[in-house]
Amino acid sequence: MAEDITAQLKKSFLFKGLSDEALAAVAQKASLRDLAEGDVLMRRGERGDSLFLINAGWFKIVTEDAKGDELIINKAAPGETLGEMALLDEAPRSATAIALTPARVLELKKDAFHEILDQRPDVALTVIRGLSSRLRFSTTYIEKAIDWSRKLAAGDYAFMESTQQALKATDNDDDKAAQLLAAFFQMVRSVKAREDGLKQQLERLTLEIDEARRKQEFEEIVSTDFYANLKEQAKKLRAQRAASQDEE
Amino acid sequence: MARGKIVSIHSFRGGTGKSNTTANLASQIALAGKRVGIVDTDIQSPGIHVLFGLDEAKMGRTVNDFLHGKCPISEVAFPVGEKAADSEGRAKLAGTNLWLFPSSIHGREISQILHDGYDVNLLNEGFQTILKELKLDYLFIDTHPGLNEETLLSIAISDILIIILRPDNQDFQGTAVTVDIARSLDVPNLMLMVNKGLPKYDFADLRQQIEDRFHAPVAGVLPLSFDLADNASRDIFSLRYPDHDWSKALRGVAETVLAIK
Repeated sequence: MAEDITAQLKKSFLFKGLSDEALAAVAQKASLRDLAEGDVLMRRGERGDSLFLINAGWFKIVTEDAKGDELIINKAAPGETLGEMALLDEAPRSATAIALTPARVLELKKDAFHEILDQRPDVALTVIRGLSSRLRFSTTYIEKAIDWSRKLAAGDYAFMESTQQALKATDNDDDKAAQLLAAFFQMVRSVKAREDGLKQQLERLTLEIDEARRKQEFEEIVSTDFYANLKEQAKKLRAQRAASQDEE
Repeated sequence: MARGKIVSIHSFRGGTGKSNTTANLASQIALAGKRVGIVDTDIQSPGIHVLFGLDEAKMGRTVNDFLHGKCPISEVAFPVGEKAADSEGRAKLAGTNLWLFPSSIHGREISQILHDGYDVNLLNEGFQTILKELKLDYLFIDTHPGLNEETLLSIAISDILIIILRPDNQDFQGTAVTVDIARSLDVPNLMLMVNKGLPKYDFADLRQQIEDRFHAPVAGVLPLSFDLADNASRDIFSLRYPDHDWSKALRGVAETVLAIK
């Protein structure tokens, strides 16, 4: 059992890189907890006193919308960590986690966690490193998202092709970043499709001119004496004005 | 020194937004530092004075008085840059060199001139006097729609002719004849401006079709705008709402006019 827990911890972003001996020390403080489908693991607004590492099963992470209806903001899979923020900053839980399937989690109580951090600077350093790498990763994607949003606003979709291929090529192990990117690109595709649709809806107005009538109306005007006189005068006037300009 | 240019604004049918376009174009060009005059030769149905805030009480001598020999043309000039800062848009014209030569809005005077007729040559002399005395860079002539004698005169003496049309087949037909006349009268610079374009139409395609068919440049395709209609001739729209799509396209036309040497 203890070996199972150690293997599980090793995969988590918080403890990745710890020596087996250090992992065993953490495992010693942790315990396993089983949940049935629909069980609430943690509740939004409660003070958090545990961090959980999902061993088996799926969870939905929910909050409430303005009307008080349940709003699923995310799903969590085996290997993911839940509740680590509340354990460090002592703020209330920001969301509720409910088991979607029968599930098993590894639970590390706040007191036990703090005890390890006090006793083992190597574990503390690894936890800090894990958190900051996640933060750095998020920052990078926020910067990219800002850049893409600006391009999107300017109607420049060229970044879609190159970026999507680059993302497929990189080993992306952060589920939340992957979800953000997927949602972002879905949005870009929808916006582009709508814009293309609008462009196609533009109607074509076809010019129609009755050329025979055009000619006839023209002839009626130019055949008058007034017109012949006007044409002559206009010619003189232009010549005069051109000459007076030259004098100046 | 470059001589002043006569810019005639014409449309084959009424309702194309001709007076409004003339007032906005002249205002934009005056704002660009040019000396600009506008003569309202739409004696039958004058309208451009309203856009410059000129009402019956403020109106002094008119083009009608000049044509009846009651006063020299210079007395008709209404200095917009000095007197018309009574609205948000017009206030921007303060200090510009812009003069309006209004037509009479008195029914009696209108019917009198329609009945008696007038000497189109005298009108032409008036234009030349204004150009010289006020040292104008541009003299805009707002004409009556159609192809009557004073309209033909204004086309014949113009350096630049802007024909305004709406995107519909009746306007295309009448505009075609006007274009032919302008070519026959050797107008040096002829351009078209499409106004009141429904946003559902493909403006780029429309421009291309018109240019291909008339062999004349389209200086702008301006959208139909409820905002413009709502302005209801109360102000110079492009000055009051400079960021509006209509105003942007209008400024494009003004730049085209300014670029003509």
